[in-house]
Amino acid sequence: MAGQILVTGMGIITGLGVGKENTLNALLSKRSAINDLKYLQTIHKELPASEVQYSNEEMYKLLGISPDEVYTRTALMGRIALREALEESGIYKQKPGRIAFISGTTVGGMDKSEQYYKDFLTDDTKSAYIEAHDCGATTDLIAKEYKGHFDLTTTISTACSSAENAIILGANLIKTGRIDVAIVGGSECLSKFHFNGFNTLMILDKHQCRPFDKNREGLNLGEGAAFIVIESEDSVKKRGISPICKLSGYANTCDAYHQTASSPEGEGAYLAMTKALKQSGLKLQDIDYINAHGTGTGNNDETEGIAIMRVFGDNIPPVSSTKSFTGHTTSAAGSVESIISILALQNDFIPVNLNFSEKIEKLSFSPAVDMYTNKELKHVLTNSFGFGGNDSACIFSKCK
Amino acid sequence: MVYIQSIAHISIQEPFEEKWFESPLIYKERYVRSIEPDFSEFIAPMAARRMGKILKRALATSLKTIKDTSIEKPDAIITGTGLGCIENTEKFLTAMLDNNEELLPPTYFMQSTHNTISSQIAVYLKCHSYNSTYSHRGTSFDSALLDAFIQFQLGEISSALVSGHDELTPGYFALLDKIGYWKKGEISEEILRDSQTPGALAGEASVSFMLDKNKTKNSFCEIKGIEMLYKPDKVQFKKTLASLLQSNGLNEKDIDAVIVGISGDVNNDSVYKNMHSEFFPDKPLLWYKHIFGESYSASGLGLYTAATILKNKKIPQHIVYCNNVKNINPKNILVYNHFQNKDHSLILLSSC
Repeated sequence: MAGQILVTGMGIITGLGVGKENTLNALLSKRSAINDLKYLQTIHKELPASEVQYSNEEMYKLLGISPDEVYTRTALMGRIALREALEESGIYKQKPGRIAFISGTTVGGMDKSEQYYKDFLTDDTKSAYIEAHDCGATTDLIAKEYKGHFDLTTTISTACSSAENAIILGANLIKTGRIDVAIVGGSECLSKFHFNGFNTLMILDKHQCRPFDKNREGLNLGEGAAFIVIESEDSVKKRGISPICKLSGYANTCDAYHQTASSPEGEGAYLAMTKALKQSGLKLQDIDYINAHGTGTGNNDETEGIAIMRVFGDNIPPVSSTKSFTGHTTSAAGSVESIISILALQNDFIPVNLNFSEKIEKLSFSPAVDMYTNKELKHVLTNSFGFGGNDSACIFSKCK
Repeated sequence: MVYIQSIAHISIQEPFEEKWFESPLIYKERYVRSIEPDFSEFIAPMAARRMGKILKRALATSLKTIKDTSIEKPDAIITGTGLGCIENTEKFLTAMLDNNEELLPPTYFMQSTHNTISSQIAVYLKCHSYNSTYSHRGTSFDSALLDAFIQFQLGEISSALVSGHDELTPGYFALLDKIGYWKKGEISEEILRDSQTPGALAGEASVSFMLDKNKTKNSFCEIKGIEMLYKPDKVQFKKTLASLLQSNGLNEKDIDAVIVGISGDVNNDSVYKNMHSEFFPDKPLLWYKHIFGESYSASGLGLYTAATILKNKKIPQHIVYCNNVKNINPKNILVYNHFQNKDHSLILLSSC
């Protein structure tokens, strides 16, 4: 075993802004990014979402990429997040051993495919976007941000838990000693395709979403990208850097119930949290905060809440869903919310659950609305669940 | 220790059969779709009607590997798929564009995500264990296998169902044809073998492997190791290959054959030929894409071909690309796959 898995860098872009500082400020000032649509071209203007407040052209400029190069929105956001993560980790200055880059996405290059689909066969100027459509192509484009050399890259696509499962693969690769550093996370832009898809499932709220509220009416979609640098203890020592925190437990399970609904007792969620806790060796009372998957749909919040009750019994820590800030960033949600959880850990506050007024009857707890508990945060747990019951959980802890 | 306990495939060769080993089906067409088996043996007709091609094939190959072993609930279900449920994706996309985002049915969207395959297998098996999906172009399957392999190494799992699944719709065939993925004109083995042009024979692949940490009398072979590399330079490639062999007490001389993804695409093939001439110039070079076709999951069929050779203890003439060696009983085979010379994978197999 390679010892602890340490976090040494983070990068994020969501509707809350570019970077950790903007993200933290929005969380502390309770400013949600969910708003009327500005960039996504859809007829469903009545549905709010959390959009990254940059056009593709602005992101090309921000990154210094030539306008002639072919990029999808998911890849552009991914590069912005990766840049911040690389900078903080100091990888350019102190080159580590072997590095893996593992990214999660489901939409991939769909934003361009849906725009050019009807022209692909006749318009040669759009051909380059055919090659940019699939998930793996997206990872390849994001990887171009790194001017050094990645030793391994791959792409996970487990829908809304993709980024969380990227963290898990990275951690396992480090544990086997195959690699020293893994840059893990996900990126997903809004596309007309999945915006309409979620709309056909009738789970989009026309108002700001109300996770864990009795009268919740569904989720708001969001877009974003987030990458976390995780590293072996040996590598951190060798590079002489100080870690941000550690990944103390994680688990991937399957609800094995239905393609788009969770089981009534939240079995997959229960197993994910239980296994992650077991791996961490922590007691229930040690967990100071749960960043819930908390989409705001009738089905998710009730079943996730039941699973939390089953796991924690009388020891339920503050629980909140920060999707009330960022919307549901789908394939990026796992790393977006892991970074939010780590910011909470670093700054000793509870990211509150916005738009809450009434408790769900079946649940024994209400979501957290108070930012400060007069208690230091030492361990935080974050849940990420996907279509088909791809349920995962990660626990991050302060380094002693 | 990781052993391949059973394998099931649905491809452009006869489904679930090993007939290709002696006499493969030969195609002249440049785009061939998989031969569908009778699904009713695995899936109730009512349920099957609601499923896309890829999902039916995935369930059938998965259930066949389960039937052939006593492993009903594997400790991990991991799928590699380059394009996922592309048929349903296209149906939803087309409906959305044609109907200007109105009156869309949810079913195609629900079953469009890449992870539909792994998760529906889990729903079918009521299996709560580790469940994941890789979508990384031509090394999607290799990534899935790597994930399983490291979890065996860490002692996290004792069994795993690892699969590669890709369907190719006429629509996506046409798109990839536009950017030079497929050969123009009629196909023959000679054309693919001596090709100086880009493009391959377009196929489809669904192949499932049941892996177990224990050997049985039915085991195909042992997976000794797997390495994946991104844009390696010569030194890195050489170092990785050497360490894969050495960590298993082997060197280049011990490798009886190298099986690669030569497809008839000149750019793709030169990478394999260079590797062969540099490291294994005297060893038989084997290929499989001339009988199974190219797809994002084709490397799964490469592993299947290699495992079948080790189980049957012989190399059929028709998969030898060059350096035929008669009457050998192969013990160690190296499976080498790359995609666009960016992502590379090396898998070391040994007979049981």
